[in-house]
Amino acid sequence: MAAGGAARPHDEGLRRPWGAITAFLLPALLVYAALTAYPAFRTLWNSFHEVLPRRETFIGLANYAELIQDEIFWKAVRNTFIWACASPLIEVAVATLLALALYAKVPGARFFRIAWFTPVLMSYIVVGILWAWIYNYDWGPINVALRAVGLGDWAQPWLGQPDTALPALIFVTSWMWVGFNMVVMLAALHSLPREVIEAAELDNCGWGQKLVFIILPMVRATLLNLVVLSFIGKMKIFDLVWITTKGNPLWSTETVSTYVYKRAFEWTTFDLGYPSTIAAVWFVIVLAAVLGLTHLFRLRDKLEY
Amino acid sequence: MATVTLQDLTKVYDRSAPPAADRVSLDIGDEELMVLLGPSGCGKTTTLRMIAGLESITSGSLSIDEQVMNQVPAKDRDIAMVFQSYALYPHMTVKDNLAFGLRRRAVPRAEIERRVKEIAETLELSPLLGRRPHALSGGQRQRVALGRAIVRDPKVFLFDEPLSNLDAALRVSTRGEIAALHRRLGATMIYVTHDQVEAMTLGTRICIMSGGRVMQVGAPLEVYHAPVNTFVAGFLGNPPMNLIPARVAEGDGGRRLAVAGESLVLPPARMPALGPETALTFGIRPEHVTLRRDGAEAGASLAAEVLQTEALGAETIVLAALREDRAAKVMARVAGDAGFRVGESCRLQFDLAAAHVFGAEGDVLRPR
Amino acid sequence: MDVLKKSILLLLLSGYTLFAAGPFVWAAMMSLRTTTEIHYDHFGFPDPIHWEKYPEAWFNSNYAIYFTNSTQVVLAAVIIVTLIGAMAAHCLARYRFKLNRLVYFVLFSTIIFPPQITIISLFQILVQYGLYNSKLGLTLVYVAIQLPLTVYILESFFARIPSDLFDAARMDGYSDWQIFWKVSLPIAVPAVATTVILNFILLWNEFLFAVVLITDEVNRTLPLGIQRFIGDTQEDIGMIATGLMIAIIPVIVVYAFFSEKLIQGMTAGAVK
Repeated sequence: MAAGGAARPHDEGLRRPWGAITAFLLPALLVYAALTAYPAFRTLWNSFHEVLPRRETFIGLANYAELIQDEIFWKAVRNTFIWACASPLIEVAVATLLALALYAKVPGARFFRIAWFTPVLMSYIVVGILWAWIYNYDWGPINVALRAVGLGDWAQPWLGQPDTALPALIFVTSWMWVGFNMVVMLAALHSLPREVIEAAELDNCGWGQKLVFIILPMVRATLLNLVVLSFIGKMKIFDLVWITTKGNPLWSTETVSTYVYKRAFEWTTFDLGYPSTIAAVWFVIVLAAVLGLTHLFRLRDKLEY
Repeated sequence: MATVTLQDLTKVYDRSAPPAADRVSLDIGDEELMVLLGPSGCGKTTTLRMIAGLESITSGSLSIDEQVMNQVPAKDRDIAMVFQSYALYPHMTVKDNLAFGLRRRAVPRAEIERRVKEIAETLELSPLLGRRPHALSGGQRQRVALGRAIVRDPKVFLFDEPLSNLDAALRVSTRGEIAALHRRLGATMIYVTHDQVEAMTLGTRICIMSGGRVMQVGAPLEVYHAPVNTFVAGFLGNPPMNLIPARVAEGDGGRRLAVAGESLVLPPARMPALGPETALTFGIRPEHVTLRRDGAEAGASLAAEVLQTEALGAETIVLAALREDRAAKVMARVAGDAGFRVGESCRLQFDLAAAHVFGAEGDVLRPR
Repeated sequence: MDVLKKSILLLLLSGYTLFAAGPFVWAAMMSLRTTTEIHYDHFGFPDPIHWEKYPEAWFNSNYAIYFTNSTQVVLAAVIIVTLIGAMAAHCLARYRFKLNRLVYFVLFSTIIFPPQITIISLFQILVQYGLYNSKLGLTLVYVAIQLPLTVYILESFFARIPSDLFDAARMDGYSDWQIFWKVSLPIAVPAVATTVILNFILLWNEFLFAVVLITDEVNRTLPLGIQRFIGDTQEDIGMIATGLMIAIIPVIVVYAFFSEKLIQGMTAGAVK
């Protein structure tokens, strides 16, 4: 019965004000129902049909059967998963190192923080065009630099060959997101109780030991959270691929998102049923992967963002 | 002004748990300052919030000026409340905080201006009117919270532990201000606290609650001197009343108590005649216990050993264990220079004219 | 730390800064040079500075249209999503009712949905209701995709407002609706500002829904415009760079003024 705080349950007294509750929630729920829930169910419905501009035909599981045989789809799944697994590791590792550097009280930390965060504010379209230039075979800074130091043999059309295109794009997303992850890590580091780290210093812990035994375990939740976030983000990736390679060469950068788009709006089959099937299956895969990942990290209750 | 009547007021949050307020009945007279006193979780805040209209009433009835208020929303009850956290609107200036409740009530602008100014004057808030709450000290915030209630000129004032966030010195002075306010406004006030000093000094009457129930209602000294049960006896007073298990022994008209192998004979005015072997609790306040090295009266004293002394200057609080029952401990409030040392044997002399006797259920036993 | 170690560290950090910000600096330089100059040396400084490329892109390449469309769609969507998101968040934070946590979870879990699950059907639905290829349709879809994040950020803020304030307002005679406008929303201004800035940036950059739901030149938003522009002027790198700068300048301006707020918004929920 402790009075005062925010913790007291908001009992509304008298009748529960259903009128007010409805009025407050209705607009959001309408938008949600019309533009999220209904389309999602309709996609599921579509997945069992052939959906042509003027005609819908029920075809049962035919789309699903076709999907299992669809090599491009599985190639896209593979690419997306490589992306979604590699990115979090790279981003979080580099971000943690940078955050630790700034945590060590270097001058200009505020400037670095703001500068490094910039890439994530740009659209994938802008970033894609910039990096297409950076990777340009003839005059892109990477190849220019290689030739300048006498490593001209290493110069190559980074986005133009199957074995380098995907790593090159993964590198771009890492460039974009490291700053974001760094800022989050830095906030987590700053929220650590100073005393614990000082206590470790008194216990004669070196920097490395302090990092492994004290700091990292204490920011574990943040680390795992960032991994999940990065994973989810890469599972959705579309814009960057679309503006740079469109999935080429040889489907080496095809992601599920780009493949769905192609099947729905680029190919001249005009069928929206099959891409809906891809979407439905992919939805289940993403959901399962995210739940599995959070479960793995025992973050189930903290799944956020 | 107003009277407030609670009849069997009950609040159930959760059907599987005991009610937060259980059949609370209370008549609060016009211009009275009623204090609801009890430990945390006793239902006093729940009761206050039901009166305010912030909490629904599960059963029973609440009337203000003889009108049943159960279904009347908070805003139409003409009640003002001072919250423990002050609940000042952080985005408004002091002036707007004071005026906010009036704007809603179709008070003319000039009238609002006049009243805010007047209240600010009396509460010495005038120089602060343009500030936001975060720029005020704790005491200033508290005065704004008071002002916000007063400016509305309500029928009833409710206070929910309004002093608990203040430091000790400020608490004493604000307590004085609230008492003065009550005298000046002559308003009906209901005041919730767990602090017995506040209750004793402010209340015209005190309602002591425990476990959602009303234990006793009465004037401060009445509840102090005539507690109806061991809960009230043990809650009021600092240090609280000594409560010692006892049995009725043979002789002395059924008023002889056997305590720790010795006996005490109570005067007829303090105890009804009881059959032998009745188990009961003997209660005596620390100020009615003295320590004697010799010359203690038989039948009004017990042998003991000093366990602890706290010299407070004018007086010394002595904790002693009875010699024959060391689990039974007694506090005595003795003169500051009494000079008893830890480990010393002595006799505890009781002023039995001030003794209390409680039955096995804890209720007081009084001679008819 | 001794001076040497600190200098090495600082050098490394500066190197990373060059890596992170370099591409933008490069693009900014190219945006002020002609394509001929660029072909001569891709990394030269703008000399002379060709400011005239900006008006040229703005007037001759439909950037004015793209920019106006983006502004209209994004501002409208941000206003609507902030309003209805704040209402829902206030309700979920303040009232206790049986389905409260369920509604919250349903709204919130959409954050992990891959966009494909709705995009094809949204295309069909907007076509059906005549909203396909219209700014109104895109605005509504933008409201829907930013709703979960908005509710999430605002709910956690509203939940921290002490309930005593609401009780005090009720005793002061205010209705639920008035309490939302006069107490909740004004107190939540910092959080509302965060969501506004965040939604602005995310929607300003949005591409996937725009590319599916908009086809006409007159309705294109900036990201679509840029894509169209590089299609048209494949080799005119100088002009493309100018176009890119036009698209990112609003973001840079917002960032310059609200960097802390924006960082706070972007990272909300990630910090544990």
